[in-house]
Amino acid sequence: MVKSLVVIPDRCTGCHLCELACSQRHYGVMSIERSRIHVVRLHHQPVDAPIFCLQCGLCMASCPVNAIERDPKTGAIIVREERCIGCGNCVHTCPYGAASLDPATKKALICDLCGGDPACVKACPVDALKYLDADQAAKYKRVNFSKLQMVVK
Amino acid sequence: MDLHGYAGKILWVDLSRMEVRERELDRELVKLYLGGTGYAARILWDMLKAGIDPLSPDNLLIAATGPLTGTLCPSSGSIEFCFKSPLTGIFGESRAGGSFGPKLKFAGYDFIAIKGRSEKPVYLHVRDGVAELRDASHLWGKNVHETTDILLRDLAEPDASVACIGQAGENQVRFASIMVDYDRAAGRCGGGTVMGAKRLKAIVVDGHGEISAAKPEEFFEAAMEAINAIKVRANKGLGRHGTLSGLINLNKSGALPTRNFKTCNFEEAEKVSGQTLSEKYLIKKRSCFACPIGCGRYIRVPAGDYQTPPHEGAEYETVDMLGVQSMIGDLEAIIKAGYLCNIYGLDTISAGNVIAFAIEAYERGIITEKDTGGIKLRWGDPEVTLTLIEKIVKREDIGRLLAEGVKRASERLGRGSEEFACHGKGLEIPAHDPRGTSKSLAIQYAVGNPRGACHIEPVWAPLWDFLKVDMGLRRYGLPWPPPSRFEETGVRRGEAYRLLIFFGELAGILGVCRFSLQTVEEENLNLDRLSRLMTTLTGLDLKPQDLLKVSERVYNLKRCFNVREGVDRRSDRLPKRVMEPIASGPTKGVRVENLDGMLDEFYDAMGWDRETGIPRREKLRELGLGDVAEEIWRSRPSK
Repeated sequence: MVKSLVVIPDRCTGCHLCELACSQRHYGVMSIERSRIHVVRLHHQPVDAPIFCLQCGLCMASCPVNAIERDPKTGAIIVREERCIGCGNCVHTCPYGAASLDPATKKALICDLCGGDPACVKACPVDALKYLDADQAAKYKRVNFSKLQMVVK
Repeated sequence: MDLHGYAGKILWVDLSRMEVRERELDRELVKLYLGGTGYAARILWDMLKAGIDPLSPDNLLIAATGPLTGTLCPSSGSIEFCFKSPLTGIFGESRAGGSFGPKLKFAGYDFIAIKGRSEKPVYLHVRDGVAELRDASHLWGKNVHETTDILLRDLAEPDASVACIGQAGENQVRFASIMVDYDRAAGRCGGGTVMGAKRLKAIVVDGHGEISAAKPEEFFEAAMEAINAIKVRANKGLGRHGTLSGLINLNKSGALPTRNFKTCNFEEAEKVSGQTLSEKYLIKKRSCFACPIGCGRYIRVPAGDYQTPPHEGAEYETVDMLGVQSMIGDLEAIIKAGYLCNIYGLDTISAGNVIAFAIEAYERGIITEKDTGGIKLRWGDPEVTLTLIEKIVKREDIGRLLAEGVKRASERLGRGSEEFACHGKGLEIPAHDPRGTSKSLAIQYAVGNPRGACHIEPVWAPLWDFLKVDMGLRRYGLPWPPPSRFEETGVRRGEAYRLLIFFGELAGILGVCRFSLQTVEEENLNLDRLSRLMTTLTGLDLKPQDLLKVSERVYNLKRCFNVREGVDRRSDRLPKRVMEPIASGPTKGVRVENLDGMLDEFYDAMGWDRETGIPRREKLRELGLGDVAEEIWRSRPSK
């Protein structure tokens, strides 16, 4: 079974290690901006939330040069950088703000699940990020989406 | 030499000329001092003439990161501020967590060095290699939270980090803090006072750049190994109940200072413990940048007389100094007091110390209702603390005197108040008792290098003999097993403290939090881990012994800075209060008996001259500080 990346948001303390691990794994440098996962802290609310690609694939249809494919092995989105023209359509299309453009290469930055061994999960010190079999992961996803109905005070 | 791990630049700011310019890091200085407070100490030694007024335009304020800052190395979210302290007149350094340090490096700078004084209030804006000074008239008079809110809103840079001062810094309270990311404090030594004197309200940094490693894959593996080692601490001790987690144990051990260091126990300890905080007031844990431990407490008092908005607070030091020292057992009131200090930008340690001093002085009739504006100063009364915080910040009534710090206040009051004014070299003693905890702390407070009586910089010495934690230092010569914590001389105390110092200094030099160092070696950044991280990150060959050598150089340089300002053996003293027998509790009767004997042993271990307490010429030469030795010893008989 393919696996999915999920978060247990209550556990996140906002340390940003996932972001550094992501950019280090992909580019050999530490950079928040070149990460494919982003931790958002709301200063006046009890929110530290890692925002990452849910692998929904909306971006695939938006790409004018077919640079976005799905890895048959992991089910993850793969950006073919040699084809990517940096138009930003995928960034525009992503409803979660999980896609962005690499400031260095101007190519699309979308989570590829590190080929099935996500660096962010390795680096997360509080086990807020998990890489689970899809059916297990779905349980966490349901809880997270149900929380969208909660009014944050 | 490629500077992997570094941004490679220093941002120089001259507020008198309203100029900013950048300079490359000096490669030779990087090799000798590595970075952080080490590199900053060298700048301060070179640039500050002895005897300058810390509140004059001549003073330099340096924001310093280390090579590990902003990297995958765990707990590397540090920013250190270095300057000449207006509270002590010697080397000032103060650290904050948050994300300012990493953001500064991502913006392209390892250091910001600020001199001069602006005519009108300004703030410094730094974004990705572009820096400018901007008008801050609209921010002057605003508190820390308001200032941070306005800056982040107006700049529309949600990822930016703000370091700023509140009214305490503006009003030149001598122990004003620099506040980072709302509630992370560089509290000690009056860095906020220096910012206020320079009319620099805030520094905003926003960075989107990158940090490279010399050996990316090996560094990644080293960092993952270190994160895995440290992350178990997220669920116990510090990570579980915050810095307040140790309060109950300190109380049971007779090491919890109360009643202005007269006693070392507290009946109501359970009520103000980390456990109580977690149960009643904790909203969530919050980490500084890159920290697996996450000791930060995002808390609030939801209702009642002491209601507060959500904020990060209730640190151990704050709770003891602002509360327990004055015999207050109401945690809600203490949280409120800490919150006020945060928004006004006031060091909670110095504020709590000076308030307890004032209560004792009132009790003894040295100050009266005439001085206090009509309020009665009593032990255990939260209203006294809350009112005095306001008076100190506004410099009203007795607040004008207390805002000068406990040393100056006691000197002006006289009448024996010096004996219970608890400071070392002018820095208010924090919430660890040098009799009840460990006699190494007596050496630490008395020597007070670099910043006066401090419990944590360079290291919390009681780890050795109070907690009996070796931190991985045994194989580098830490005497083991440690002696009883109350024994003074003849137990290798000086030797042990020397090694602890060199280990602890690395936090400030490399840019990691001291808490990541200070525990058992299975769960800390021990010397071997630091060596592996530094070597793979920078490409420099830095074995554990090489790191210790850099620390020794830095610690001695800071001592020489202080010697140049007049420090010597005669100033390595403790106030009478913390020498005399503890009045009650499990450690009743314990006193400091032979401070001079302990100092002798420490100076010997350090290679310092016994008579003067000054690093010997030969020692300094051996450390590559020959020029410093010349300046220090020029006017003295040769040693």
